Amino acid sequence: MTTLDNRVSSRPIPNPSKSLITKLNAGTGLVVGIIFALGTYYLLNNNSSDDATVNFQHYNRTLLASMLMWSVGFLVGIGAFIGPWRWLIGKDLTAEEQLYLAGDGQGIKRYFKYCTDHKVVGIQYLVGVITMLAVGGTMAMMIRTNLAMPGGHFITASVYNSLVGLHGITMIIAMIIVATGPFGNFIMPIMIGAADMAFPRLNALSWWVLFTAIPVLCSAWFLGGIPTGWTAYAPLSIQAGPGMNAFLATIIIFAFSTAVAGANITATVVAMRAKGMSWNRVPIFVIGATISVALAVPAFPTFMLAMIQTALDRTFMTSFFDANFGGSGWLYAHLFWIMGHPEVYVILIPGVAILMEIVPVFVRKPLFSYTAAIVGFAGIAGLSVLVWAHHMYMSGWMPMLNGPFMVTTEMISIPTGLIFLVILGTLWNGKPWLKMPMLCVYAFLWNMLVGGITGLYLSDVPADNYLHGSMYVTAHFHYTLMGSALTGAVAGLVYWFPKMTGRMFNERSSYVAFWFIQLGFQVLYLGMFTAGAEGQPRRVVDYADTFHVSNMVSTIGAYGVGIGFIVLLWGVVHSWRHGIIAPMNPWGAKTLEWTVPYPVPLVNFDTPPVVTSDPYGYGKAVK
Amino acid sequence: MSDHNAPELNPTPGERFTKFLKRKDVLETLGWAVFYTTGFVILGGKFYTKWMPTMMSTDMRAIERLMVIFTWISAPVCGFVLSMATYTFRHGHRGDTPPEDGPATRTNRLGISLFGVMSSLLALVAILYGLIELNSSAEAATKDAPNAMVVEVTGSQWVWSFNYPAQGVTSNELMLPINKPVIFKIISEDVNHSFWPVQLGVKADANRYQTTTVQTKPNKLGAFDVKCAELCGLYHAYMETNGAVVTTADFNNWVTAQGGHTA
Repeated sequence: MTTLDNRVSSRPIPNPSKSLITKLNAGTGLVVGIIFALGTYYLLNNNSSDDATVNFQHYNRTLLASMLMWSVGFLVGIGAFIGPWRWLIGKDLTAEEQLYLAGDGQGIKRYFKYCTDHKVVGIQYLVGVITMLAVGGTMAMMIRTNLAMPGGHFITASVYNSLVGLHGITMIIAMIIVATGPFGNFIMPIMIGAADMAFPRLNALSWWVLFTAIPVLCSAWFLGGIPTGWTAYAPLSIQAGPGMNAFLATIIIFAFSTAVAGANITATVVAMRAKGMSWNRVPIFVIGATISVALAVPAFPTFMLAMIQTALDRTFMTSFFDANFGGSGWLYAHLFWIMGHPEVYVILIPGVAILMEIVPVFVRKPLFSYTAAIVGFAGIAGLSVLVWAHHMYMSGWMPMLNGPFMVTTEMISIPTGLIFLVILGTLWNGKPWLKMPMLCVYAFLWNMLVGGITGLYLSDVPADNYLHGSMYVTAHFHYTLMGSALTGAVAGLVYWFPKMTGRMFNERSSYVAFWFIQLGFQVLYLGMFTAGAEGQPRRVVDYADTFHVSNMVSTIGAYGVGIGFIVLLWGVVHSWRHGIIAPMNPWGAKTLEWTVPYPVPLVNFDTPPVVTSDPYGYGKAVK
Repeated sequence: MSDHNAPELNPTPGERFTKFLKRKDVLETLGWAVFYTTGFVILGGKFYTKWMPTMMSTDMRAIERLMVIFTWISAPVCGFVLSMATYTFRHGHRGDTPPEDGPATRTNRLGISLFGVMSSLLALVAILYGLIELNSSAEAATKDAPNAMVVEVTGSQWVWSFNYPAQGVTSNELMLPINKPVIFKIISEDVNHSFWPVQLGVKADANRYQTTTVQTKPNKLGAFDVKCAELCGLYHAYMETNGAVVTTADFNNWVTAQGGHTA
């Protein structure tokens, strides 16, 4: 760190001659990764047995090993292990090499390198997330197109089931990183007055590990798809074809990336806040992001464990989850939902925290009851680890415990209420500046209200008797994850776009996108709630004629949402290239990221900032 | 500080409350709150009763009632949130320059306490109502259990089959006599399925080697749908069959026609 701190940002490109580091990039990563993968495949692939089951298991082993070796190979090729290797032989990177890794002055090339600058990692995450959302969104459009009419002849049942699973897992992964990836990496360190993340090399690692998961997930298409949905319940997952290996490998790789990123963000917030930034002066987005990643730290290893056990069942004839040999599908369901329910709050909390960051700026009032906001987040995070079995009310696992799990689940409505209170309290007596990010706050209030109330029905055991596994559930969690968390992230994109790209987001496209997305969204999921109330199960390629109207309405809404997101994407690309050059602080906000110029200097601040109050000192004195 | 105790600067809580209620923004917001609350109460009464299918058992009736009552419980919450949102949105600031600063209110103890108490009470009502409902359905089931008919439900990729052990009948269609409690014993032959006789308002997963039990009492004649509510592979969407609630005489005739014996 000391080397970085003492330099000036406009220094010429350092040239550590003869160093391997200068020659490595994503291209060499790709080459080494493919060599590793193919090498592993040809070394192991040997279907000599006469027994089809043995052959299938061996094939699964080969595929899984190749996919994991691709990830390792890519990281070797891009130079992720040079630092640790130096440590092994008792040395470290030289100052020049570290400076080179930070990538200053290397232009666009640094985005394709193992670059330790948190701002580069933030942009990498942003582009990655947008790509994943676009792919997942396209799948969603295909699903909705197929469901427009009964008969389901647009795509076959097997492709449909694959689409459902791939849409699910792509979106879940994208949503987990949608706020903490781009904004947590680019904005958050500046917000707390740090020069970089606590562990810059781990930061680069977390992104590139995640990157290696993307081709693995895509390979599922070419291996027959995943028939299990993103929940990958056993024993369906054990019975599934080779595409399942891609799913398992993706989760194993992704969980690793999340663990690294989570530890890094937590350490940064704990250890690297500016002088004077005591815990009650930390911007609420930083609090939200930290609670979210801290919640992810115990959650994702459980998921990884469940995937490793599934992989063992598929490849080595173990029987953790296979009831045919004494295992239990319920064990899988437990492991999955012990991750799965905290995970929805891992997604939701940063999105909400972005909106809480936005409200005071646009209403010109202090955040109403900062304490209530933190108690709300902490309460949600604390309760979220005690509610997982509400996904298993109908599984028959232990009906006696349905009551207690219903109580903990419905208790979450209390801290969630505090979130509403904070936003409404800030709005009250204020004159909100109705720019696009502020409109997102209103959209959030409505969407989270609907998502929360429908969650109340679902948490109730008798009602869940009817609603479980129906389209109603699908509509409910899209209201919370897409309507609330993604709306927050989109607001964050428009809000921080000037700092991340130096240009203002094209206003007209932001409004057009907003109204198309939000109005389309209401139509889409009103139709889906109705289909669920009528009794249509989830994840069906075809349905009875009685559900036609609600599904048609739903599909029409989906096209509205699709158009909105295309406009938004156009807005991103167009504004990034041709947008109006942004002033340093276009919204008049008081958080630290608006005190640095664009492009943000390598170490963010020329002189380390000193914080004397929280960033919400807006407003006239109250009589 | 000197006039801290001066009476004219210290209105009583009652006076402050009256003054608060007379504020223009408060009045408008209250209006919106009444509007939205009423709206959701009406909507709650209509939406589910319109769209949910025929109620063919007491369980289904209880579910529909619960959906309506929960909507009513949440109606004041909707009123509170949406009224404040509507008011501030209507009086928002448009333009390219930021609005002028609002009052620097950082907290309001009374507001937060009231909100905390009210939201906790509503959550408590929902929890208690759910628990009582859960208990009463369990009680009814226990009372009905001794004279219940047993149907063994087997899910396999991708068909349902129903075995009536007392009658010695196996069928792919689910026939049930009216007003006779029925216990479904559900098992799977392969992966997880979820047994869902839609209009009867019960559901339970079918697991391999683990029997799950669910009980209901059909009380309305007519056809109903049996579906699978857990993704179970390729033809999950088509894993459905017909069911019917028939009179006891019709049921006995059906059993005889299937080669079984009536009790």
